[in-house]
Amino acid sequence: MSDEHTTPTHDDTPQPATAPASDAPSDDRGEAQTGAGADARGETQAGAGADARGETRNVKVEPAGDGRFKVSVCAGTACVFAGSMAVHDAFVEEVKAAGLEDKVDVSIIGCHGLCSQSPVVVCSDDSFYGGLKPTDVAAVVEQHLKGGAPVEKLLYKDPATGEAVRDWHEIGFYKQQTRIALRNVGVIDPESLEECLARGGYEAARTCLTEKTPEWIIQHVTDSGVRGRGGAGFPTGVKWEFAHKSPGAEKYIICNADEGDPGAFMDCSILEGDPHAVIEGLLIGSYAIGAHEGYVYVRAEYPLAVKRLTQAIADAEARGFLGDDCFGSGWRFHLHIKLGAGAFVCGEETALIASIEGKRGMPRTRPPYPAVSGLWGKPTNINNVETLANIAWIINNGAEAYAALGAERSRGTKAFSLAGKIVNGGLAEVPMGSTLRHIIFDVGGGIKDGREFKAVQLGGPSGGCLPASLLDTPIDYESLAATGAIVGSGGMVVVDDQTCMVDLARFFLQFTQRESCGKCVPCRLGTKRMLEVLDRIMAGDGREEDLDLLEELSHYIIDGTLCALGGTAPNPVLTTLKYFREEYEAHVREKRCPAGKCKALITYYIDPEACTGCTLCAKKCPTNVISGEKKQPHVIDVAGCIKCDTCRQVCKFDAVKIRSGIAQTAEV
Amino acid sequence: MLGMFKAMRTTLRHLPRKPITVQYPEERPALPERSRGLFRVVIDPVSGEPRCRACTLCETNCPVQVIRVNYESKYELPLPNAARVADARIDLQPPVDMKLLKPVLDDWREHGTGLIAVMQNTQEQYGYLPRAAICEISTQTGVSLSQIYGVASFYNQFRLSPIGKYVIDVCHGTACHVAGAPLITAALEEELGVDEGKTTKDMLFTLSSVACMGACSQAPVMRIGDETYGNLTPDRTRKIIRDAMAKVGAVKG
Ligand SMILES: Cc1cc2nc3c(=O)[nH]c(=O)nc-3n(C[C@H](O)[C@H](O)[C@H](O)COP(=O)(O)O)c2cc1C
Ligand code: SF4
Ligand code: SF4
Ligand code: SF4
Ligand code: FES
Ligand code: FES
Repeated sequence: MSDEHTTPTHDDTPQPATAPASDAPSDDRGEAQTGAGADARGETQAGAGADARGETRNVKVEPAGDGRFKVSVCAGTACVFAGSMAVHDAFVEEVKAAGLEDKVDVSIIGCHGLCSQSPVVVCSDDSFYGGLKPTDVAAVVEQHLKGGAPVEKLLYKDPATGEAVRDWHEIGFYKQQTRIALRNVGVIDPESLEECLARGGYEAARTCLTEKTPEWIIQHVTDSGVRGRGGAGFPTGVKWEFAHKSPGAEKYIICNADEGDPGAFMDCSILEGDPHAVIEGLLIGSYAIGAHEGYVYVRAEYPLAVKRLTQAIADAEARGFLGDDCFGSGWRFHLHIKLGAGAFVCGEETALIASIEGKRGMPRTRPPYPAVSGLWGKPTNINNVETLANIAWIINNGAEAYAALGAERSRGTKAFSLAGKIVNGGLAEVPMGSTLRHIIFDVGGGIKDGREFKAVQLGGPSGGCLPASLLDTPIDYESLAATGAIVGSGGMVVVDDQTCMVDLARFFLQFTQRESCGKCVPCRLGTKRMLEVLDRIMAGDGREEDLDLLEELSHYIIDGTLCALGGTAPNPVLTTLKYFREEYEAHVREKRCPAGKCKALITYYIDPEACTGCTLCAKKCPTNVISGEKKQPHVIDVAGCIKCDTCRQVCKFDAVKIRSGIAQTAEV
Repeated sequence: MLGMFKAMRTTLRHLPRKPITVQYPEERPALPERSRGLFRVVIDPVSGEPRCRACTLCETNCPVQVIRVNYESKYELPLPNAARVADARIDLQPPVDMKLLKPVLDDWREHGTGLIAVMQNTQEQYGYLPRAAICEISTQTGVSLSQIYGVASFYNQFRLSPIGKYVIDVCHGTACHVAGAPLITAALEEELGVDEGKTTKDMLFTLSSVACMGACSQAPVMRIGDETYGNLTPDRTRKIIRDAMAKVGAVKG
């Protein structure tokens, strides 16, 4: 029993006796870290991996088909938030005004990757502009598009040297990546089927449907070793084989795009940046398992992804790639979009099926597995967006090329969304088996503002927080599970010393508590009780026995729940308790919050030495509790302070400080 | 041989002891007060009728799936009464234009869009799910009211009461939380004078929260209507919302 529980998986699809995932994980783990694993990794970087990287590194923005110089403006969500559409419009206008329309093509792309530089603009001569404002556009058009010389001062600067980088492939963030699932994201215009076709889109599907047998495809996918990227890591080939062998004329294939992890956006970016890769994966999958109907279940919170996907499906239908006679092969496949309605638990496959059927999205017991009885009681196969985006590459480049990447039982690459206090926030894809350190420091560029790394949160509400001492853990399903975290869907949030781990654990628990479907008592009420204990600790009323109580409750919840939502809900608490226990103890015993986050346990004060008396904070304080003469050190009246943090953020001299500990009215 | 003796010994040892089991149903053990025992439908002592309204929630909720609700409409109120109750309930909400529902139901008839899609389209038309519209959907599609309400209350997206003209979505995803989203919501709550999830009395702003919008590198982020804002600080948020409120003449509270 206990073995199962120390390996938290997102899910447990049918486990045949032969499935690699059903071996005892503990046996191979040691080996993976020492012997064979290291070899595999070494080889990956030197041999076959390099080839694959050569291929995938070739993610150039190529000149437009008609040979015009191309300016691609990123229209991923982060860049749109930062105002990239205004930049796009400015480019269109300026280019028109300069009469360059026949020489320059302004287009949009999906997330280019380095979202922390948004809005991002890349050109077909490999120059990379970050943080462009509409007002900068005129200069770029004048000097770069007309004059041919990139505007140095607007180009991306290497943070270490401060020098402008001429070719964005040389930027550390991109140099370290191997892009397979993301091969076209940020390269093509996601709203143009032509650009996708120019990069080899739908070739794999055409080959499969017209020349190959379903058995060949399944064998190929199995050989590649690709495992589900939705969290559970179940071998995709094996899953397809189940669905293929399952009797029944009517079958369904579903793409799970209900990216529920509240800090992950890879699936969103893939759908926004390269919807055709997912459609192609579904098409190949449908043929392999024998499904004539397919659904993409997308979160309604991703309007842009829905829009682009809808258009991509319409384009593919118009071309005869989807429909009654795909590629003239006689294969019939229809694809529909279903919008989620905002429930995290609908990412769980049985709940997802219930939701498509128009019911409350509640998981049910398995077996029967969806492969036997799924949507409308028919055999159904469910795959994650990223899993499907890998398929065409595997068919085109061969299973060996994919299997050559990665380590041990985790093959290929994994896309991660890097967020939090990290320099290069954005979308990164690296071979499995890379270490956390590699991703956070080499790809991610380390911690923002030169602060200290404290923890990395992996796998969202089902995952865990790992401390600096575990930074050398390789990213593969088994090694991460051993630490208490999971690969999950690939959300990676890095936090620095200003984040309170108790608060972070509470954040995730509150999320799962709200999202619990309510079927199992331990999940519905147990998480609520845990939340109350955490609230108590954060309010300074923690008791000595609370930490043990949390652990005890966690184990009851893990043991007594039906689906993986409840089964993994205590992970954030358990991992923080394991690796950051002293922080909990500080809250409980000393009634202080070392990170200065928990409102009940901190006091704001102004350092008289540093304060210049600029009066800014006094003007901004919403409760007017800061007083002082001009040019004289100011003071905060702690009694009226609501701890809104405004004064600390506006002070230009870092004079507002946080003391960790409950306010003593005597000291100011 | 040895095994048999062992078994005999256990039997003999237990002979003089008090029995652990009881002869149910002749004898009944005193159960703890909170023991629920087997479930059955509660009969209302006043009317003598079962209290179950066949809402099927227990059926969907039971983790081991041992409940089946087979029901026929036994409890129909006398027609004039039922109509009066239904009308009273509908009257509690502001009147709605039922014409807006027609394209939604037509779409359902033509393309067979599922229940959730019908509800999503309805919400798109009205901003929420008015009771009158739900009743109409139930009549037209044949799905029972209780089931529609069951679905509506399950998903976060559906709202059963009118919302403000502008919805403020503050992102509370992980990255935004770490970057200070709670402070942003607190600032908005103060400026608007309403709690999270609530609407101002003048029906202009609704303060709500969402999980990750996919713009984590701009954290913390929020959306007011179609406008998006990134890299927020409590101070900037106050300024933005004050401007927005001034523009449409909204008042606090
Ligand atoms: C609570 C919960 C949430 C989940 N959320 C997602 C999700 O957002 N996206 C996803 O692809 N899989 C999610 N899963 C995993 C799916 O159940 C399923 O394993 C996956 O879609 C299978 O696809 P794969 O084999 O390609 O990974 C979730 C599972 C659980 C238990
Ligand atoms: S574990 Fe939680 S989410 Fe899963 S079925 Fe039980 S109550 Fe629902
Ligand atoms: S903003 Fe800073 S320097 Fe200015 S008065 Fe306040 S504490 Fe002093
Ligand atoms: S934290 Fe907020 S309320 Fe307290 S002194 Fe600073 S600005 Fe005023
Ligand atoms: S959204 Fe533009 S770089 Fe990610
Ligand atoms: S967490 Fe707020 S946008 Fe991702």
